[in-house]
Amino acid sequence: MWKEKYKIGVERIDQQHEELFRRVEDFIKSVRSEGEWELKQEKVKETLEFMSMYVVTHFADEEKYQQEIHYPGYEEHLQLHIRFKEEVGKYVARFNDTGFDEELVQEFGGKLMAWLIYHVAGADQKIGAYAARLGGGKE
Amino acid sequence: MRAECINSFYRATQDIFERMMDLKTEKAELGVVEEMIAGKEANVVIGMTGDLYGSVLYSFPKEMTLDMVKIMSGMEMDKLDSFVASALGEVANIISGNAVTYLSEHNYSCDIVPPQIIVGENKSISMATDKALKLTLRTSIGNFDINISVKEKK
Repeated sequence: MWKEKYKIGVERIDQQHEELFRRVEDFIKSVRSEGEWELKQEKVKETLEFMSMYVVTHFADEEKYQQEIHYPGYEEHLQLHIRFKEEVGKYVARFNDTGFDEELVQEFGGKLMAWLIYHVAGADQKIGAYAARLGGGKE
Repeated sequence: MRAECINSFYRATQDIFERMMDLKTEKAELGVVEEMIAGKEANVVIGMTGDLYGSVLYSFPKEMTLDMVKIMSGMEMDKLDSFVASALGEVANIISGNAVTYLSEHNYSCDIVPPQIIVGENKSISMATDKALKLTLRTSIGNFDINISVKEKK
């Protein structure tokens, strides 16, 4: 899933993005793997938790980095992170309510993938462009 | 139908396809249709509210949809399942959100409602709408349509 073009030119953020993509990919692969849903549920739950934990860590780090470089789009970007965490939280609540319904988890997987690509290939690139102007990122 | 509206959706589509899937899009055809029909297998309807209100229907062929999700995920896709439908719905949602931002630059304040995804060909999306503008876009993995039926709030 990860592509080199998603890099923003700030090493520590790029490494985290690559890790985040890997975890989302692991989650999606477990959701889409062959076999009975009941049998793979444990793996799905595990990869979902592993991914969600990293989202929180990465968002916090990325927000910290934005503050360090006095990124002017910080507040706006923070709202994107908050909304995303809310969305994930809503899905997790629905997973619990529906007894981890397969269709719902598939739906979440598709949305998560598109959102992550859009976010990293879009909003995050602006952080890279700003850092580059400060002399810290890619040209 | 204002030119600003169709141009905003076209500009947003070009940008998102390029950014998320490395796909170039170009206008193939633009015409007026009597009603909004989901002419291809994978369809996303997005409602618009505000200064311009109505709905926008994105209609994609099956193979193209599978290819789009393959490009994004790096995984083979073979059917229009919930994962694929949801990914497509989110792409259309993102495009529409960006189009609304472009419309605000033309002083139109609009909002969108969450996407409704319809799998299946030739279903009439009847919402008692008037005529719609149908924009067909060409990409290297197939052509798709964006139908726009909106009215201006008086």
